[in-house]
Amino acid sequence: MSKVLLAMSGGVDSSVAAALLVEQGHSVVGVTMKTFCYSETNSTGKTCCGLDGIMDARRVAETLGIPHYVFDMEEAFTAAVIDDFVSEYAAGRTPNPCVRCNSNTKIPDLLHKGRMLGCDVIATGHYARTHTDGSGTHILRGSDRAKDQTYFLWGVPAEVIPHLHFPVGELTKPEVRAYARRLELATADKPESQEICFVPSGDYAEFLGKRLGDDHAGLQPGAVLSTSGEVVGEHGGYARYTVGQRRGLGGGRGTPLYVLGVRPATNEVVVGTAAELYRDDVVLGDLNWLHDAPRVGDQLAVQVRHRAQAVPARVTDVAYDTVTLKLDRTQRAVTPGQSGALFVGDELIGGGRIR
Amino acid sequence: MRICYIAAMKYVYLDHAATTAVRPEVREAMAPYFDDRFGNPSSVHRWGRQAKNALEQARERVAAALGAKRREIVFTGGGTEADNIAVLGRWRALCDSGSASPICCSAIEHKAVLSAAKQCTREGGELIILGVDELGRVQTVAIDEAIRARPAIISVMWANNEVGTIQPIADIAARCQAAGVSFHTDAVQAFGKLRVRVDDVPCDLLSVSAHKVGGPKGTGALFIRGGVDVSALTHGGGQEREVRPGTENVACAVGFAIAAELAAAEQEHEAKRLAGLRDRLQQSLVENIPDLTVNAAGAERLPNILNVSIGGADQEALLIGLDLEGVAASGASACQSGAVTPSHVLAAMGRVRPGDATVRFSLGHTTTAEDIAVAMQAVPAVVRRIRAEVAA
Repeated sequence: MSKVLLAMSGGVDSSVAAALLVEQGHSVVGVTMKTFCYSETNSTGKTCCGLDGIMDARRVAETLGIPHYVFDMEEAFTAAVIDDFVSEYAAGRTPNPCVRCNSNTKIPDLLHKGRMLGCDVIATGHYARTHTDGSGTHILRGSDRAKDQTYFLWGVPAEVIPHLHFPVGELTKPEVRAYARRLELATADKPESQEICFVPSGDYAEFLGKRLGDDHAGLQPGAVLSTSGEVVGEHGGYARYTVGQRRGLGGGRGTPLYVLGVRPATNEVVVGTAAELYRDDVVLGDLNWLHDAPRVGDQLAVQVRHRAQAVPARVTDVAYDTVTLKLDRTQRAVTPGQSGALFVGDELIGGGRIR
Repeated sequence: MRICYIAAMKYVYLDHAATTAVRPEVREAMAPYFDDRFGNPSSVHRWGRQAKNALEQARERVAAALGAKRREIVFTGGGTEADNIAVLGRWRALCDSGSASPICCSAIEHKAVLSAAKQCTREGGELIILGVDELGRVQTVAIDEAIRARPAIISVMWANNEVGTIQPIADIAARCQAAGVSFHTDAVQAFGKLRVRVDDVPCDLLSVSAHKVGGPKGTGALFIRGGVDVSALTHGGGQEREVRPGTENVACAVGFAIAAELAAAEQEHEAKRLAGLRDRLQQSLVENIPDLTVNAAGAERLPNILNVSIGGADQEALLIGLDLEGVAASGASACQSGAVTPSHVLAAMGRVRPGDATVRFSLGHTTTAEDIAVAMQAVPAVVRRIRAEVAA
């Protein structure tokens, strides 16, 4: 039996993953990654991987009789995830730190550390599956479509994929909870993590203020413009706005207005009607392919946010560092900075950041 | 199948500087004080008198093990509390009458002393830190220079917990005594490994801990030389000469007394035995692991400590990898979450090199030649695997 390094966040999914691996006879080493300095935040229990998460993971590991350790990933996490989060907002985009974490920190670093410990398989509690055939190992959507987390995995380096294992990928969330209760795992009824782990309060504007300084341009008042360029109001700083957002624009007008775009250079926020939010083209940059890159004319599906349906699309242009897609039907609020994960059927083939 | 695998694995504990197993004699001596002899030493009745007797006998035996008088021993809740009462309590006693004096300690003290000294700075005292050389030794010229700043108290550990360096403690204490400066030494690691006696060394205050020598955790003692005044840090019913009030932990004091007696009696023989085993491990690691440095190798060292820095290795993976192979050792120090932080001791010695991993093996009463043989096999294998991946 192979030795498996399992990432344990302290949540129910990775707890059950641990139990399943033990049951299957694997020699399991549990680890929790310490990703940032916990004293900087007040843990609310709504996020994964916090100090409480470490304690919960340790309790589960103890129950299952497997060793558990903490990896200090603070430096790598700060550089790859937090700095990126801050600079993306400063550039007027809406980043997806969980994707960055999975792709750039969690999974590659785990494999690196795992090999030092004699583990050649990396397991996580993601709702995703792998399938190996003659052409290699493929990442497939999890069996529970409501929980599927393949969206977060598009940036994983291709060479890591053959080493990945997702023990709960064939299960549904209710099955996972039932299994955890049956084993009386401490985390059986733990709520889902909701907020970004390093901003447990959910107030990311305050977090940006701390990192960028409250005098940063993105946090200064500016003009709200209509699509025709007319000033229709004032906003509190472009970094506070994301495409599709309705809240915080001031109210009282007849038609509800939504953010259509953010212009950092002039600190302007452009608004329009709900209908104007729909687009049928997507340009992706910062690309990553799990196997071969797609070609012009390929039919595939693009998912532009977690828990959104993937939309059928055709590749219309492939450049050195971008790929352009034409969607079969329009999508609401295609947001620059967010991830576009690409699928062929159930298979995740890669993705990029929305330009 | 799984059980067979575990049974085949030999687990080796080489972290005795962190803590030790309670010795059977100690546990046996403590047991009655959890049962029928449960009394409070302050009570007038027979239960109280019985407990008081046991406590004072324990004090007598700890005092004897250290060459002190019975009245000079105060039981504490461990080495950290003893260090705090010594450093902060003595400093406050000397500063009560007038302005805040400086406080002085070495850069490689245990956090218990360093943090207590930092507290003095929050109360207005200047902190003088004594640097160390590359082997972790405090220089006597630095002591003389510090004395000229007229600190209320100087605190230098007898021997270091991480690298094992032994300080010229008799010399330092004598210099302080001659200058009329209070001197404290943290002897938590030295006790049981070296001859630690306050009739040899003119220190005013000395801290020891029970669980490093086969006694129970949460118990220690502070030697306070007759006539030396310290301010209590906590306030209560006047127990332990008002220096450490609170109902005495009789069972642990009794256990500590047995452990201290055994440690003092066995010290000379045990030091030779452990040094032999340690040297065997050291030689084997030096021969089998390229780019390995023994920290503080040229200094007088505790016989039970081996601290090595290994180039091109990963700190976390090294300790975890050793644990997975059944060898328990430690790195610098572990924080609340269990993550490993860099060593302030190696930093003070100028021995921090990027890309190095550091591991401390510390031997103790239960360590056998077989344990050392297991470590000699496991450590180079773990290092080879880590280096292969670091280089990849």
